[in-house]
Amino acid sequence: MHIVVCVKMVPDTTLVQIDPKTNTLVREGVPFITNPFDTHAVEEALRLKDRYGGKVTALSMGPPAAEMVLRRALALGADEAVLLSDRAFGGADTLATSKVLSEAIRRIHENEPVDLVFCGLQTIDGDTAQVGPGVACRLGFTQLTLVDHIYEVNQRESYIEVRRKLEGAFERVQARMPALITTTREINTPRYPTVPGRLQAASRALPVWSNDVMKLERAEIGLQGSPTNVRRIFAPQREKGEIINGLNGAHLTAADCMLNKLYEWDILNAD
Amino acid sequence: MSETRRKKPRGKARLIEGKCIACGDRCQASCPFDAVEMSDGEPVFILTKCNGCGKCVKICPSEAIELIYTPDEQKILDEYSRKNEPAEIESKADSAWKHVWVFVEQTEGEAHPVSWELLGVGRQLADDLGVELAAFILGDDVGHLAHEAFGYGADRVYLIDDPILSRYRTRAYLEAGLLLIRKYKPEIVLMGATGLGRDLAGALATELRTGLTADCTGLSISLADRLLEQTRPAFGGNIMATILSETARPQMASVRPHVMPKPAFNGERRGPVIQETLSISEDDIPTRIVEIIREKSDSTVNLAGAHVIVSGGRGMKGPEHFWMIRELAELLGGVVGCSRSVVDAGWLPYAHQVGQTGKTVKPKLYIACGISGAIQHLVGMQNSDYIIAINKDKNAPIFDVAHLGIVGDVFDVLPAIIEKTRASLNAPAELEQTAVGMEP
Amino acid sequence: MPWSRIIFTVLFIASIGLFLFNVYRLIAMLCLGRWENRFDHLLARLKGVLLFVFGQKRVVRRAFGVNHFFIFWGFMILLGMNSEFLIQGVFPEFSLRFLGRVPYGALLFATDIMSVVVLAAVALAVMRRIAFRPKYIEASRDAFLILGLIAMLMVAYFGVHAAEIALGETDMGGWMPVSGALAGAFATSTPEKIHRSLNASWWVHALALLAFLNYLPYSKHLHVLTAIPNVFFRRIDPVSVPPRLKFELGQDFGVSKVTQFTWKQLLDFMACTECGRCEDSCPAHGTGKDLSPKEMVHRGKLNLFINGGSLLNSRPIDTLAGAPREASMVKPLIDGTAESIPEKDVWSCATCGVCMEECPVFIEHAPKTLEMRRHLVMEKAEFPEELLSLFNNMEQRFNPWGIAPTDRAKWAQDLDIHIVKEDAPADYLFFVGCSGAYDSRARGIALAMAKILDRAGLSWGILGTEEKCCGDSLRRLGNEYVFDQIAQANVAQFKKLGITKVVTHCPHCYTTLKNDYRAYGAEFEVIHHSELIERLIAEGKLPVHARANGRVVYHDSCYLGRHNGLYDAPRHCVEAVSGQAPAEMERSHGRAFCCGAGGGRMWLEETEGKRINIDRTEQALKQNPAAIASACPFCMTMLEDGLKDLGKDGDVKVKDIAELVADAIE
Ligand SMILES: Cc1cc2nc3c(=O)[nH]c(=O)nc-3n(C[C@H](O)[C@H](O)[C@@H](O)COP(=O)(O)OP(=O)(O)OC[C@H]3O[C@@H](n4cnc5c(N)ncnc54)[C@H](O)[C@@H]3O)c2cc1C
Ligand code: SF4
Ligand code: SF4
Ligand code: SF4
Repeated sequence: MHIVVCVKMVPDTTLVQIDPKTNTLVREGVPFITNPFDTHAVEEALRLKDRYGGKVTALSMGPPAAEMVLRRALALGADEAVLLSDRAFGGADTLATSKVLSEAIRRIHENEPVDLVFCGLQTIDGDTAQVGPGVACRLGFTQLTLVDHIYEVNQRESYIEVRRKLEGAFERVQARMPALITTTREINTPRYPTVPGRLQAASRALPVWSNDVMKLERAEIGLQGSPTNVRRIFAPQREKGEIINGLNGAHLTAADCMLNKLYEWDILNAD
Repeated sequence: MSETRRKKPRGKARLIEGKCIACGDRCQASCPFDAVEMSDGEPVFILTKCNGCGKCVKICPSEAIELIYTPDEQKILDEYSRKNEPAEIESKADSAWKHVWVFVEQTEGEAHPVSWELLGVGRQLADDLGVELAAFILGDDVGHLAHEAFGYGADRVYLIDDPILSRYRTRAYLEAGLLLIRKYKPEIVLMGATGLGRDLAGALATELRTGLTADCTGLSISLADRLLEQTRPAFGGNIMATILSETARPQMASVRPHVMPKPAFNGERRGPVIQETLSISEDDIPTRIVEIIREKSDSTVNLAGAHVIVSGGRGMKGPEHFWMIRELAELLGGVVGCSRSVVDAGWLPYAHQVGQTGKTVKPKLYIACGISGAIQHLVGMQNSDYIIAINKDKNAPIFDVAHLGIVGDVFDVLPAIIEKTRASLNAPAELEQTAVGMEP
Repeated sequence: MPWSRIIFTVLFIASIGLFLFNVYRLIAMLCLGRWENRFDHLLARLKGVLLFVFGQKRVVRRAFGVNHFFIFWGFMILLGMNSEFLIQGVFPEFSLRFLGRVPYGALLFATDIMSVVVLAAVALAVMRRIAFRPKYIEASRDAFLILGLIAMLMVAYFGVHAAEIALGETDMGGWMPVSGALAGAFATSTPEKIHRSLNASWWVHALALLAFLNYLPYSKHLHVLTAIPNVFFRRIDPVSVPPRLKFELGQDFGVSKVTQFTWKQLLDFMACTECGRCEDSCPAHGTGKDLSPKEMVHRGKLNLFINGGSLLNSRPIDTLAGAPREASMVKPLIDGTAESIPEKDVWSCATCGVCMEECPVFIEHAPKTLEMRRHLVMEKAEFPEELLSLFNNMEQRFNPWGIAPTDRAKWAQDLDIHIVKEDAPADYLFFVGCSGAYDSRARGIALAMAKILDRAGLSWGILGTEEKCCGDSLRRLGNEYVFDQIAQANVAQFKKLGITKVVTHCPHCYTTLKNDYRAYGAEFEVIHHSELIERLIAEGKLPVHARANGRVVYHDSCYLGRHNGLYDAPRHCVEAVSGQAPAEMERSHGRAFCCGAGGGRMWLEETEGKRINIDRTEQALKQNPAAIASACPFCMTMLEDGLKDLGKDGDVKVKDIAELVADAIE
């Protein structure tokens, strides 16, 4: 079985803070990491490999520094990794990203047929959850999003059975392969790399595919190939923590205040 | 006025300290002269190469780049600006695409509320553009939803009713959606940013080779250029971005549920229903749903995936008081968590423990009752979207991370909130009134 | 030559041969281990042997150790006579008489007396195992066999000598009062009978001696042979610092096969006397966990003997240098069998070091545990799941909780604290540590320190958001790889900033910066806040007012006390502010009971047995204190949690010594 897993390097947005004075993003000291959702995608790919044998290829599109997320995947047990890096790929939205990723997977597929592609459900910077479906669509692979459990892979009959997380329920689906799966965080707990794994990964040469290799139309990739455009960015209105008194008989007002918050935060619905 | 014949000075690009958000190398990609190198996500401008074309300035979403000029250049520029060039407004988009569409998401014939919320905002957009608002409904035996769609503001309904659409499956819905959109060419398509909506929207937009803005919390029309301004949080909610899809059509957006108000229902409204038939067979669909598993509320505590967690700490004084925690959790559709000392004391099993050596959780709402907030507990829950803390001690560290902190006795506050929540669940409208009535 | 002599000669040669062969095998097994230099500081080593072997200094720390003292010295003396005895068996003319009549007589006298003493000691030891056995001592067959053999030797000795005296075959009877007295028992016997009895006794003695010689290597009494070298080769450096690793491909990390230990670590396994003192003082074992340092050493020995035996047998030529075949390892070291160490136990250890402090033969337990952790973490990535987030947090955010590094200086935001920069140095760098920076409770210590440093008028500063975790927990938990990165970065940063003096309030930071970083080229001086405060008070630079705040009991942090020998400084601080020396728990100083947080246990759930911190808190409460003083943020957390669990947090407070002192500043 050949599994491709897509990983993205992202700034660790949970560490990003807003400067209260200038209302701008403080990025200083914020490291780049593997998109957390993708760590689960990598793990699930590796688990399938452990279970059924085969090979895992990690794939990332990004600046040269993004090789670090691929090396992490290699350290964890991926067999191959390819970095897609070119100025021409920069500034891509999800449509352009899915173009480059899917073309890369196609190239890999021609060499060695791909049975499954894993993506994280979404990233923590773009947050769109659109790249997975985009890649699936472009490749014509069966699209399985929000997968939180894999029951089995039947290679002989070429299908996979997974559980998808719906609102308030789960769906057990049988799907034809090749398929593209996007993973939730609950699907597994990612493993930790061994040191020999890390050293091995650090010492390997990583193939980098630029557009000279990929030969994609400029109009379909990068900034030019991106129909969406970010016009403006601004800091959201931040709710500051509020401390209210609930002592000495004030508990009823406090409870009302809390109830209002439950509505405001959409825990309770007005309808 | 031979002076003005002078070439317009171009200047050099410069990064404004602290404003770059590392959006993903847009400036580098936009520069025709390869004058931008990236370092740690931020641009470094190679001034010998920079031509001052300003492409990066324009592309930068966070207005982090400026052009700098020498004083002489600045003088000439000021002259230019006095002449006040009008901005070119001209839509490059294909005008064959018209009208605003809303996807009515349904499961077993019941519409997801977000669909009606979208009709509300869609109405506004359609009115601003002076076009029609249409709903498109896909499913099996879902004709009755057309009536509802009209009631919530749709002018027109597109419908594909086919047994093959009885349960949501990407390929079937994708084909159905494509058929309608390709045929009738809406300029805007809105869908709920639910699991289903995002699954379908991503596929649709890709097939249509158009832009899709995810998880929007605000939509409006830029009247000057008739473009949909789509505002959404990004960077883990740390920034808001306004996104445009200038040329590709339709402009697609998925919209977060519960942020747009649901419009009033008007049962009198009617309109045309345009029905299409789908010509795909079961064989074309690569997935088969084996089973729908309803979430079981059995004894296994799923803290990691929980939407709401109500946690008790030592301040609950004893296991006999945890019914309050359980009850509130149940009312809010959540699960019960606790601090380690509660487990130590044997009041709850380890599976409920939140914190460093327990579970790390990230629910939408975390309610900490009688928990002081030692760091070992905080690390397990501080990334929750919202945190409510109830504690007697106003100096308890839990208040540092709380969005709402109630300095009070859990034994007073909890029963009050349980009672009020229960009342509001039984009679929501009534309660809203009381809540409003509370305002001074 | 009489037939008996021939038989004896044959037996003698065979058993000496067998003995030598056994010794050779043992040495060959040691050679299976990795090289480690323990041949430095020869003088100190010799001194240690004199003190700890011949002086039995550690043995006699416990009351019953005196018994061993007598057995040991009895043995030393009997060694001389027994050699003579064996040689006489082959060459009857041989005698130690050439030493001169008086020395020889003295030797006979000592032997005679000592034999009685040993007999009594053996009887006592047997009694102890039968009648009043402490639970850390086993009443094993092995023990009774050996004690029996010793007793038999003594009895036979008297049999021989009493008979000789009775027969008048010796002119030294006067030197042997006990044998002489026993000779009286033969008064009514015929010389023939006495002869027969002499013969019988002689054979019993001879056989027992040879049996003893050859039983040794197979029993716990192997320590008779190995204890002396083990004491000689002991760790001379007072702190146990794990070796720095080189991270290169092809290297293996940590220990999963017994032969990956160093020869000295293998010698440790052979040297254990099974006295059980380590087990008795181990906080993990004492709170009902399976981990027992003694058992670990014992299993290590069994594992070594099984694997070593098969490895040695697999060698094509039986020489010390003969390379054994890897394939002949038959037992994994970390496993569930009786001859291996359970993985669970590897994680139970708090690296408190009390086992090493207690061991009479200087066995080093914790470093072995560490090597096994290194293997599990680095080679297998197998560890308790709680550690996953710890390891990731450390690597990405340089603190154990994964809080934003930008929040690191938040505790100081309302204070005007100098940030040390290349162009803005200070005399003292206050290394706040993760607890002081992030933990709301421990921030109180950091704030107290800020007050103290200011009031003492010192030039000091912090690193602010540039500070990173010292990496202590990573290292103790076996994640040497990430520790290595952090250590390199920290040392480089300190060097760049030209830092010469570092103050820290955390013993974990203290030991790591001071000891562990040495291998990384750290040259700065590291001072624990207790040392600094003690000095400042002594020099009159801190205007503290002693107040009677009630009884304060002091809890020793393992990494401050046992690992770094700082027992008095924190006590002096307490004394200076409370007007009296702190109360002591039953176990304090070198024998202090761990709080349960060391060795990275701070980050692990404790599900087996009783919680160590609760046990320790109960020990503290026995002293009826108004406050428990600690000098470590981890101890503070543990003791506070203990108080909460025991419902005593309202009555008793845990205070860091810095907080006590800051409160007492006028
Ligand atoms: C503020 C802001 C707002 C944005 N809003 C939008 C928007 O509304 N619509 C839009 O189309 N674009 C948007 N973008 C662009 C978009 O975020 C990305 O840059 C795009 O390339 C990837 O989308 P994502 O990160 O959201 O990926 P997601 O779709 O969330 O990612 C899902 C999975 O796809 C895989 N994947 C994604 N990117 C890569 C990659 N580069 N290499 C390998 N695997 C990858 C990973 O497995 C990942 O887990 C926005 C960018 C910014 C800065
Ligand atoms: S375009 Fe703006 S936000 Fe994006 S990388 Fe360049 S400077 Fe930063
Ligand atoms: S170091 Fe402490 S916890 Fe570990 S085995 Fe020794 S005595 Fe027990
Ligand atoms: S290791 Fe040391 S203290 Fe423990 S039983 Fe053996 S000899 Fe005694």
